[in-house]
Amino acid sequence: MINTEGMVAETATKIYTDLCAREVPHEAEAGKYPQALWDALTENGLPLAWVSEANGGFGADYDETFGAIWASAQAASPVPFAETLIANWMLDRAGLAPADGSASFALSGHTPSADIPFGMHADKIVLFDEAHHEISLFDNRAAVRSPEESLSPDGMTQFIFSGHVVEQSAKTDISRRAIEALILTVRAVQMAAAMETALNLSIDYVCQREQFGRPLSKFQAIQQQLAVAASECAAATMAATQAASAIARHADDPEQAWHEAVIAKVQIGHSVEAVTEPFHQVHGAMGYTQEYDLHHYTRRLWAWRDALGNEFHWSKRLGEELALTSPDQIWKGVTTGDWTGGKVVAS
Amino acid sequence: MQRFNFPVVQPDPALEELRSELQAFLKEEREAGNYRPEPECWMASADPEFSKKMGKRGWIGLTWSSQYGGHDKSALERYIVTEETLRSGAPVGAHWIADRQHAPMLLAHGTEEQKLDILPRIAAGECYFAIGLSEPGAGSDLANVKTRAEKVADGWKINGQKIWSSGAHISHYMVALLRTSPADGRNRHVGLSQIMIDLSLPGVTIKPIVDLSGDAHFNEVYFEDVIVPDDCLLGEEGGGWAQVTGELAMERSGPERFLSSYITLETALWQLSDKMGSDSHARLGKLIANLSTLKGMSWGIANLLSQGVSPETEAALVKDLGNRLENDLTQQVRAMLNDLPAEDWSPDMRRIMNIGVLRSPPNTLRGGTTEVMRGITARQLGLR
Repeated sequence: MINTEGMVAETATKIYTDLCAREVPHEAEAGKYPQALWDALTENGLPLAWVSEANGGFGADYDETFGAIWASAQAASPVPFAETLIANWMLDRAGLAPADGSASFALSGHTPSADIPFGMHADKIVLFDEAHHEISLFDNRAAVRSPEESLSPDGMTQFIFSGHVVEQSAKTDISRRAIEALILTVRAVQMAAAMETALNLSIDYVCQREQFGRPLSKFQAIQQQLAVAASECAAATMAATQAASAIARHADDPEQAWHEAVIAKVQIGHSVEAVTEPFHQVHGAMGYTQEYDLHHYTRRLWAWRDALGNEFHWSKRLGEELALTSPDQIWKGVTTGDWTGGKVVAS
Repeated sequence: MQRFNFPVVQPDPALEELRSELQAFLKEEREAGNYRPEPECWMASADPEFSKKMGKRGWIGLTWSSQYGGHDKSALERYIVTEETLRSGAPVGAHWIADRQHAPMLLAHGTEEQKLDILPRIAAGECYFAIGLSEPGAGSDLANVKTRAEKVADGWKINGQKIWSSGAHISHYMVALLRTSPADGRNRHVGLSQIMIDLSLPGVTIKPIVDLSGDAHFNEVYFEDVIVPDDCLLGEEGGGWAQVTGELAMERSGPERFLSSYITLETALWQLSDKMGSDSHARLGKLIANLSTLKGMSWGIANLLSQGVSPETEAALVKDLGNRLENDLTQQVRAMLNDLPAEDWSPDMRRIMNIGVLRSPPNTLRGGTTEVMRGITARQLGLR
């Protein structure tokens, strides 16, 4: 289970309960940005949870911060809370001050541009440049932002790095795998939380909606579909929790948590279809509408599933690495969670 | 609030020494030709000689006290033994059910004499039990059992038939769910009791059922005026239903629900080595992600069980997901083996794959069908 106790998790849960009621994601999608929600998160210092104390943050436990992320995803957070947490963490790992305002992140790829989640709303963009072991901060507001097609209501923009002035930049000893581990784990937690919320919506709906003279919930066909979805949700939560726990365990070297993070990405990415399909099926046409809440979750699940590479990409990457280790080592990983003994480490 | 309770429990390094000992033993036995690894080994692969060796090493009866021949170890140590024997496809079928299910039942409900007599023999790998739940007219509809036990002077007289009793032909006892008084109106759960039956008694007839793989581990067991003493009633008269459902929760979350076919994957991995293509890599990655996740869920439940918590719904979830994975694993490995020309498959690979395919249908049946598992989950979700 994701740890939803502790000050960070509880503060975030309270803010999301108070300031992100069900109409808020709807209004955000209609163009009314929930500034009060973002301000409350900032006033409580939550986007600095993973910034070290020496750097102006409060070095909170990874563990309970994942609880805060869980709460934000359950509320269909229309502000870049998780993105800012990740961006500030990256800055901190290069010894740079946290971003002033909200932020999103990018990893350098083979192109001079990147797709930025929440790109229309983030004040800053933090880039990890793998080739130069460098982390840089850009002013997103000053940049020309071109919206990209996105499945998510949070939107995405394309950012072209060349031609923009770096506000701050520093060398880092952190690896791409360490950053991947954190991002994949954050997404896994968000996805597990969104799945569970969508499951709850589905259960409520089938208990209320009557067809053929009785509630939908009384039909065995409906029960079996939701039971399968619930088992996928339970597995997703376990995978996300294992990844979160690995990050917490390897706080100094998140690269060590890479396998658990990828396992969560693969497990949950493959589950998305297995849950969103029954959720929409049992909701009938209602689940297909803008006015109902379900799409806040299913659209984000579809977007997060593709982010940083889809489940097929990561299944293959994981399999490639495992194939290079011995079957004994694979068994050791499955049974003890120790994936580090294999002969292959770097990619 | 999160809906299900699956605590994340870190592996315990103290348990890894036990794991190494088991691995060394199993490797030695396998290399000496004392067994040939098989999928579904805990159901279909029974070898009393092997069970006795396991008993001698102290790997049966780990959890009960030395007073009854046990080893005063934790349920988590038992979990390691379970995992390692499944992984290597060892012939553990003779003692598996007695160790997992009936020894704890005897500890809870048996007389002191029974405990002193039977438990040390189970721990030694010399005494085996069969499950007596299913009947021809009552599979998943367990409350529909018709076999009855009638109170007679100094005991019970049993008449009827059980079916699908794995290993009954080599077992010494069966614990059967029997009707000891009529159902109370439409409530069929009352009037059921659990009774331990010595299978060597007069009136017991055991007939093998050959399954589609050619194995004969299933049996039909007939009871004709079989008389057992009073103290063979386990637990409360009429309390059989509650006892059985409690027991099923324990048996549904163990590693045998998702690792029964692991040997197929492992054999293929040794075969494929560096010959795997990218499609196979993707299949491997997904299988290992699923296995790791299920291991976490099952290990979490094992820890709850060791604290005395018995989460019925979580166990049903593990069984449903695990059974799906077991069958999926065999199918995925079939696809992965396309990377290797069929003539390059080792005889063992071919044998294990064929057994895996032939033994896949019961995965989603035994211990409660998938549909029943989903019914349990649906009830927990508030849909029933």
